[in-house]
Amino acid sequence: MSNAVSQQAEEQEPVIDLSIADSVIDKFIDIPGNLMPVLQGVQDEYGYVPRVVADHIAERLNVYPSQIYGVLTFYAQFHLKPRGKFIIRVCVGTACHVQGAPRIVETFFDKLGIGHAETTPDLRFTFEKVACLGACGMAPLAMVNDSTYGGMTVQKVDDIIADYTHRPLK
Amino acid sequence: MVNLTIDDKQVTAPKTATIYEAAKLNGVNIPILCHDKKLKPFGACRMCLVEVEQMKGRQIPACTTPVTEGMIIRTSTPDIIKARKMVLELLLLNHPLDCPVCDKAGDCDLQNLTYEYKVDSNRFVDEKFHHEIDYNNPLIERDMNRCVLCGKCARICDEIVSFGALTFIDRGIETKIGCEFEDGLNCEFCGSCISVCPVGSLLARPFKFKARFWSLTKQKSVCGYCGTGCNLTLGVKDNKVLTTLYDENQGFHKGQLCVRGRFGYQFINNEQRLTSPLIRKNGRLIESSWEEAFEVVAGRLKGGNSVAALATARLTNEELTLFRKLMLENVGSNNFDHSGGYAHSALTEGFTRSFGVAGSSSTILDVQKTDLLLVVKTDSYETHPVVGFEINMGVKNKGIKLNIISDKRGKLSKLPGANTFVHTPGSEVALLNAIAKTILDEKLTDASAASISGYAELEKGLAEFTPEAVATSSGVSADSIKKLARDYAAAEKALILFPVGLAYAGHNQEMASAAANLAILTGKLGKEGCGVLCLSEKNNSQGAVDMGFYAQNGGMDALKILDGCKNGSVKTLFIAGENPVVSYPDGAKVKAALDAVEFLVVSELFMTDTAAMADVVLPACSFAEKEGTFTSTDRRVQYVTPAIRKNVQCKTDFEILSALIVKLGGTAPASPSAVFAEISAGNSAYAGMSSVALRTEGAFTQLNLSPKLVVPKAAASLPAENGKLALVTGSALYHSGTLSQFGEGPMYVCPENYVEVSRKDAARFKIQDKDLVTVSSSTGNVQLKAKVTLRMPEGVVFVPYHFSAAPVNAIWNGAAVTTVTITK
Repeated sequence: MSNAVSQQAEEQEPVIDLSIADSVIDKFIDIPGNLMPVLQGVQDEYGYVPRVVADHIAERLNVYPSQIYGVLTFYAQFHLKPRGKFIIRVCVGTACHVQGAPRIVETFFDKLGIGHAETTPDLRFTFEKVACLGACGMAPLAMVNDSTYGGMTVQKVDDIIADYTHRPLK
Repeated sequence: MVNLTIDDKQVTAPKTATIYEAAKLNGVNIPILCHDKKLKPFGACRMCLVEVEQMKGRQIPACTTPVTEGMIIRTSTPDIIKARKMVLELLLLNHPLDCPVCDKAGDCDLQNLTYEYKVDSNRFVDEKFHHEIDYNNPLIERDMNRCVLCGKCARICDEIVSFGALTFIDRGIETKIGCEFEDGLNCEFCGSCISVCPVGSLLARPFKFKARFWSLTKQKSVCGYCGTGCNLTLGVKDNKVLTTLYDENQGFHKGQLCVRGRFGYQFINNEQRLTSPLIRKNGRLIESSWEEAFEVVAGRLKGGNSVAALATARLTNEELTLFRKLMLENVGSNNFDHSGGYAHSALTEGFTRSFGVAGSSSTILDVQKTDLLLVVKTDSYETHPVVGFEINMGVKNKGIKLNIISDKRGKLSKLPGANTFVHTPGSEVALLNAIAKTILDEKLTDASAASISGYAELEKGLAEFTPEAVATSSGVSADSIKKLARDYAAAEKALILFPVGLAYAGHNQEMASAAANLAILTGKLGKEGCGVLCLSEKNNSQGAVDMGFYAQNGGMDALKILDGCKNGSVKTLFIAGENPVVSYPDGAKVKAALDAVEFLVVSELFMTDTAAMADVVLPACSFAEKEGTFTSTDRRVQYVTPAIRKNVQCKTDFEILSALIVKLGGTAPASPSAVFAEISAGNSAYAGMSSVALRTEGAFTQLNLSPKLVVPKAAASLPAENGKLALVTGSALYHSGTLSQFGEGPMYVCPENYVEVSRKDAARFKIQDKDLVTVSSSTGNVQLKAKVTLRMPEGVVFVPYHFSAAPVNAIWNGAAVTTVTITK
């Protein structure tokens, strides 16, 4: 992530309520090796790990801020930018690839106006290419949060986007 | 010891050694990139691969594998050479070959190994990295394109410096070294990361494009800032000190330096250095000849008791001896002193009465050998960062228990397991007394204690310092005080540390005796890892005391001398290197005194605020231009020789004082080593030392302790006033005295004075970080930049004392704690 991107992430950050982070930290404060559960816990609460929260964790757990950032960037499970309410994952594994996954991906890019691992400005959608979702029989495959969409076509992309665009954000 | 075979040679090595260490001990060199003897083994670079027969000839890293009995090791078989070549090829795949413009060239491990293994072509092809270079700060450049990911920088920052500015970020091929959220470096700027970087990823920016490594002359010296006595290697070219070089074998600190030592050297070749004697004529300082200046000064020194002198504790032992001799024998006055007269009282009065000698009972080497450290004030890290590194390493690697009593939290408080007991400002001595009282009451004393002189008086004298009573005044609970006492008494070895200096007025003879009492009562004295170590301010503070350059036998001390200037009893004042206008308490009073004195002569490197008031200014020389000895805070005597030739127009204080002695009809000594011979003949602590032997290692002065228990007087604590804050003064991490103002490095990082305020007080007075605020006391007011920090307790503010602009002595008159108000 370049400086510009992290700056952008900061600009997007709304006011963060640190008391939520505190309640997560309080739960794990006395456990040795508590950094991972705390980071996972705050991500569950905020949807991502905002910088102020990372700094706050550093202060309370007496861990270097740099070390926290090292952990956050090492694991794919952590996100440093706000994520959409609906996470669209399209499999680009071997089976899906030969069944035309690249065209599905391109279509999502076009329709949503975002790229891989990016989020729409209204925080509705985040799009991700993933290596394999473990359901090759349904190739090409897409998932939105926990719902699975097998046998994907370009037309179905429109249907999925339309469906989720009408769902409430809150 | 275990027996093993390395390259068909039968050798032995300690049981705890790794293969790399065993090989090194026996003269076999195994190449390394990621290993450093100061750091824990890491095994990242795979350059040190060796074959071990018992492991079926597998290639294993020598730096992380411990030796075992009967091991048969081969370090340079054709297979091993091939493997190492491939490691280098893979590293050079991404490493840019910009050696012609890289400042590391010549000192680069990667370059040297590539040469050694003749890697003249690469079978692989890949793109180079395109990381942005971090130019965010003026001292350390970070070019991650050159990085080989050995992790030494991140590890030294964690393991020794304990700051943790750098870490591995991202994963796989994208892994790089960086700071949190890709920020630029914002750290202590000690430059330890630069010192261990095996390639040109981390470079000292002040040295960029100054000289090729091989064109530098390497001159050994001793740092001229604080009392730690760190050894330096100065990189000299064309008679200029261009950089400090890292030598991992140098000194007790193994080449570790702080920001002042590593980046503070620029004052030596600073363009503002004085280059000609100046004489005040018609109100203006006019350049003159040395002859004329000596004539004028010598004439004014013929005043007997109306002549007084102040010297900085940065002069060599030889110069201070000569200065004392000039004053006593040639001038006929015993009015001379240093460090404000009070900053050395812990040694000259405190330890003298408690230990029978004016020196600390312990050395810095004891820090890592003890079981428990009792540190008075977290400032011990800021005043003596390299001692701080020793504490870090002791606590993190050896599990030394760390108890701190301090008026604020600090970096030391963050060490694992550190207990910080924050007390109300100024109650340190009462706290130490309460600890002593608990030790007495709970019979935690050593069997030898009762027979030590002063025991009965101490029992009586400490009656009022019950933990409960002191808890009320100090804000530290009675249980905590008892815990501190029990911890201290229970530890087999324990060491007490406290800093002293101009800004630590409360750290006086009473504190020294209070700390000494604890060591004496529990028998923790005169043994390895035990005792009391006073961290003195300047590089030769202990030497100045040893040379007797302070008020004795009815001589006036520094503050009396200034009073004397004001009331006319002192007519001529000779100041060598001291800058009382900035560093002494109550700046207005100092200025008035220097204004009033009939004749003021100042020998200085720079036109300081004090020199600007002088009638005659003599351009002197820095530590890098002179010969002589310095005695560190832990009594280590070290010899420095000139690293560069001095400017022809400047004279060392030794030459200045010699010339004045001759002018006054005396005979001047031939050389500094002749004076040192006198010192070692006349001072039993220095007996047997020779200046030649000191050049390589240095030596500790001898110490004969005769412990005595003394009742320390505790200052009454100030009652908190509504809306007022308690000001405590001290040292900022990046500075030492007022000299570091002329070092570019320290000034880049910490360019101006500031006031540290707690978050709660900031909220109460509606102050934001970096706001300009007015701090007022009964003696005056000063405008300072606010620094809102977590470490300050509510109601306490901190201001360092190094700065000529907005000096703290506008609001501080030498009290340990000053009541101030703060307005925006």
